[in-house]
Amino acid sequence: MFCDEALDAIEAVAAGDVTPDGRIAEHLRSCPNCAAALEGARALERALRERDMAPAPPQFTSRTLARLRRAKYRSDQFLDVGFNVAVIALVVALFTGIWMLVNRSGLNAVSNDVVDLFGSGLVAFVRRVAPSLPLYAGAAALLASALGIWWWAERDAAL
Amino acid sequence: MEAVNERELVERCRSGDERAFQELVDRYKDLVYALIARTVQDRSRAEDLSQEVFLRVHRGLPYFRGEARLSTWIYRIVANVCVQEFGKPATVSFDAEKPTHQQAAPDRQFGDLELRDRLEKAIARLPPHYRLLVAAHYLEGMRYEDLADALQQPLGTIKTQLYRAKQQLRRMLETEFK
Repeated sequence: MFCDEALDAIEAVAAGDVTPDGRIAEHLRSCPNCAAALEGARALERALRERDMAPAPPQFTSRTLARLRRAKYRSDQFLDVGFNVAVIALVVALFTGIWMLVNRSGLNAVSNDVVDLFGSGLVAFVRRVAPSLPLYAGAAALLASALGIWWWAERDAAL
Repeated sequence: MEAVNERELVERCRSGDERAFQELVDRYKDLVYALIARTVQDRSRAEDLSQEVFLRVHRGLPYFRGEARLSTWIYRIVANVCVQEFGKPATVSFDAEKPTHQQAAPDRQFGDLELRDRLEKAIARLPPHYRLLVAAHYLEGMRYEDLADALQQPLGTIKTQLYRAKQQLRRMLETEFK
């Protein structure tokens, strides 16, 4: 038996996975180098078994759950944006379809008259509303601020 | 953990019960963190990666079929997270030079402490895959069979790789870290 053969089995012997058979046991008894290697492997085995197990840091669970909630919130937001984009695309497709239908079916001429009618009505409406426009703008700004604060507060709560 | 309790816990997590998931994190956090902290030297990175493992567990729970033990499945996720981490270039950390083991008890012999210190340095020099195997095998409950199941490799391959890892460690301790 050569040392290489015995050395190949040393880790398995030290781990207790293999019981050295006659030849290996004999070699390990007679060869000081291999015996020393086996002793080293056994010491290593003991040291590895006695390695300290670092416990998870305090607050690990709460920090993990907070991270999970953040990830969930981001994923929900991503879904919301996706849904909004899909709705906008659908509306655009719908209007494009209607416009093409109107153009192809000869309803265009009729629709032009309708546009003229609504156009003149719109101009009259704007003239009437113009003096109160700053008031409407202020109300719209207030509403936007309220919505903004609500969104901000909800985002913090979700985190 | 008993198989029935484990299945029940998984079912509760699947139904969106946050307390159940909290319980799952509490049960496995020490195992996951210890495993990663033994593989990645930087403590804060180890915590970050451990959290990432639980995020993946949460995402994957609906697809967990219960064929393997929960701990084995979690270990598989740990292995994937570590493999991804090892693929990245190393980052500089102020924690990198700290020893990975906790403060030892004062009554331990100096020789023992010194061997542990040398051992940690030698382990840090092992290839990442070997480091993970050594870390996992010597944690409670991680048998050869569990490792083979988690890494989806034959039992013989796992044993051979572990023997080679320990052989490398022994040689490093006998030469470079003597």
